[in-house]
Amino acid sequence: MAERADERLVRLLGMVAYLDAAGAVPVDELAERFGVSPQQVLLDVDALWVSGTPGYWPDDLLDFDAGALEQGVVRLVEARGMTRPLRLGTREAVALVAALRALRSAVATVGPAGRSVVDSALEKLTDATGEAAAAVDVELALEGDPAVAATVRDALVRGRRLRIRYVTAADVSSERDVDPLRLVTEDEHSYLLAWCYRSSDQRTFRLDRILEAEVLSEPVAGHDDARGVERVAFVPDESAELVTVVFDSQARWVAEEVPVESVRNRDDGTFEVTLRVADPVWLRHLLLQQARHVRSVTPSWPAVDVAEAARAALGAYARLGLDTDDEGEAGA
Amino acid sequence: MPSQIPPAERLLNLVIALVNAPSSMSKQQVRTSVAGYGDAPSPDAFERMFERDKDTLRELGIPVLTVDAGGHSDDVGYRVDLDAYTLAPVALTSAELGVLSLAAQFWQDKTLRTDTARALTKLRAAGRGDPGAGDAGTDAVAGLTPRVRAAGRAFGPLLDAIQDRRPVRFTYRAASTGEVREREVEPWRLAARRGGWYVLGRDRDRRAPRAFRLSRIEGNVRASGAPGAFEPPAEVDVDAFLSGRGGQERVARLAVVPERAGAVRARAVRPEPAWADPPEDPVADGRDVLAVPFTSLGGFASELAGYADAVVVLDPPDLRDAVVVRLRTAAGLDPVEDGEQDGAGVDRG
Repeated sequence: MAERADERLVRLLGMVAYLDAAGAVPVDELAERFGVSPQQVLLDVDALWVSGTPGYWPDDLLDFDAGALEQGVVRLVEARGMTRPLRLGTREAVALVAALRALRSAVATVGPAGRSVVDSALEKLTDATGEAAAAVDVELALEGDPAVAATVRDALVRGRRLRIRYVTAADVSSERDVDPLRLVTEDEHSYLLAWCYRSSDQRTFRLDRILEAEVLSEPVAGHDDARGVERVAFVPDESAELVTVVFDSQARWVAEEVPVESVRNRDDGTFEVTLRVADPVWLRHLLLQQARHVRSVTPSWPAVDVAEAARAALGAYARLGLDTDDEGEAGA
Repeated sequence: MPSQIPPAERLLNLVIALVNAPSSMSKQQVRTSVAGYGDAPSPDAFERMFERDKDTLRELGIPVLTVDAGGHSDDVGYRVDLDAYTLAPVALTSAELGVLSLAAQFWQDKTLRTDTARALTKLRAAGRGDPGAGDAGTDAVAGLTPRVRAAGRAFGPLLDAIQDRRPVRFTYRAASTGEVREREVEPWRLAARRGGWYVLGRDRDRRAPRAFRLSRIEGNVRASGAPGAFEPPAEVDVDAFLSGRGGQERVARLAVVPERAGAVRARAVRPEPAWADPPEDPVADGRDVLAVPFTSLGGFASELAGYADAVVVLDPPDLRDAVVVRLRTAAGLDPVEDGEQDGAGVDRG
């Protein structure tokens, strides 16, 4: 068992306090309540059974109804004074309340049922722990078209296939049928994790890049969610070309938010990042956006590509008669 | 010698003993009478084991008090304060516990995850069984995974400092200048917004409120004053603090190449009534004209510059100028001046 002793202790104490108030509880129900397996519940009961006050004579020990246990029911008959539930530590309360607050915003659009449950849980928790929890404030990204978000959630709840039109970071749109698996709301973006029939694989779609969504009548097929949600973040292709860019410090967010291979701070306040570039169009977007902060690019082809794209864009302004006065000549 | 007693059971026996002790227990009593401590092979080993166990219990929120046992000054006793031990009455329904389990998965930070998991176990102990009550609540959140990225090493010490109202020192890399400098801050609040964690507080050197991004803190956060050294403001408006948000919303008019800039199109709104009959410049170059709201001029200009010739800003002029400045700079990135490039066929327009 890899479980930490302190985590197990909290559960052992919790079980005693719970059983003292709840009376007879089936093993399965106790397991579900404490989020462990029925086998673990039996191991825990065994451990409790031999614990108690010094002396450890039969009258000193926590005691259970042996007959009931044979029927798969746990009934505590002697609690040795351990009847009170343990209070929450400040950090525990802070972590849980901040999570609940953020959760409230994420489920707000799901419907009144979800919201009222979160609200009542939050209220009870705040009553029990006090206001210390204001120390942490998390706001999740509820971006994208609300109609799209509502459609995606509807499909998720009803277990229906979705048809979406999606635009990639390289600005390529396509239509796909997907089986929604999970909606991941993070502090920066929301993502739909889905089985994509177009690529016959699990894919992650950023919610604000889903242009249209329609619930289809087909139910979702069973797919293995084994990869889970940990892989939501963009994983660069190992074989992709490495490009090194030196930015000045104002573009710091690139090092923090773009998946980079490495970051090296230089003494003059600039920094150097190495990126794996599977899609040159994606790099062109990034460099165009950050052009004012780019000091150098190695190898040189991306810089050539970006400059060309920029000149084409300036040409478009000229053609539309939107030539702006020529004072901003300050180049690199 | 009995067989080795697992640490969780030794800790459990210690808690039960201290709760049930008539007044308090001395170290010696613990060693000779509490199950598990007899395993310690020497007085030193016992000493270390007991000290560590006391720390563990306190860390878990179990108030182990040191009391003067009277008489001899070195005869210290220990007990658990049951009133401080007890959670205020809270009866959560199974639907509410379901929501809490979801919240417990929220943090990707290991410490915070442990904290929430432990809090959940404690709350599970406090509820009364209400089998089958209100699954509607958990159904409503089915398939949803809200979560926030890990905040890094600075989070824990900063949170402790906020609780203790204690100033901190840390080395900070300013993004605006690239300058790396020591800061002394009275921390008020931790906030996560748009993919970043920030600590908000008063910068003691600048004598003004400031926000610091946690990922730009280098090295350790150290306490630099006594607890209770400052009084944080009652209200902290996080969004006003992290400016760039909550600015005034304006609407841009963009000429976009058909089928392009999908992510920008997704944010387009209906044109305002005044545009129903467009002024003199109708759709030029076969482009679609879109109305797209924005708040941050710089951020939006950068985003639009990313699309190069697929998006042209018609209005407002300040946004257009900002995009054009970015494009002019980008047009100069071209390293042709260095000579020997393989002639990328540059034709300057």
